[in-house]
Amino acid sequence: MKRILIILPLMTFLACSHERAEELPFYSQYASRTDLTVAQVTGFHLNDSVKVDVVILVADDTTAWQGLKDEFDIRTSEGVTSWIGDLEYPQQRTRRGSKPVWRAMAVHDERTLAFYRIENQTQYQALLDYQLNKISNK
Amino acid sequence: MEHNKMTFDELWELEEHLGLQKRMQKDYPSWLRRRRTHRMAMVSVAVLAVAGGAIFNTQFSIPKRYDNVLCNRATFPERHWADVAANILVTPTL
Repeated sequence: MKRILIILPLMTFLACSHERAEELPFYSQYASRTDLTVAQVTGFHLNDSVKVDVVILVADDTTAWQGLKDEFDIRTSEGVTSWIGDLEYPQQRTRRGSKPVWRAMAVHDERTLAFYRIENQTQYQALLDYQLNKISNK
Repeated sequence: MEHNKMTFDELWELEEHLGLQKRMQKDYPSWLRRRRTHRMAMVSVAVLAVAGGAIFNTQFSIPKRYDNVLCNRATFPERHWADVAANILVTPTL
């Protein structure tokens, strides 16, 4: 009986000890919007050793999508639009340097915006390799 | 002696009672052992089930391509958002 009493709390602790992801400020900023579905994928695996954090915004309807396009200064209306955005102001186009940036991609057909947080050259290279490998395998 | 005053039937009953008591005393440890063994077996089965489940889950399930997912709506399972993140990267541009 004593062993059961020891094992049960231990198992409960193990079951509840899943690491809780920390909200990125960018995610928190949009999470309260009622016209968007907002998701944050923490530690998205680009390969066996490189991970990035991703924030995804999906507009519920065309009005919300148009609002997002205006907000992020997206002027095209079809296909995929991509840019490198400043970490604090993702709508602001920037050049990739030593500081962390967002690699932003907008898919018009799906009214979806995805932001991949790039912190170093390794992540950037892994992202490019991922795109190259997957597209060439299609 | 009190026994001297007892009838044969009373004595027989007393002997039977004492014999039963003796047998119970003798059998008690084995009963206790059986009970303990049974209990340990039940605990072992429970522990093995949990451990087996955990191993099966990590070894044979589809590998997880993300650490955690947060979403402001409970619309899709976590894996959906990892798939979205993956698919957008490979959406061909016009």
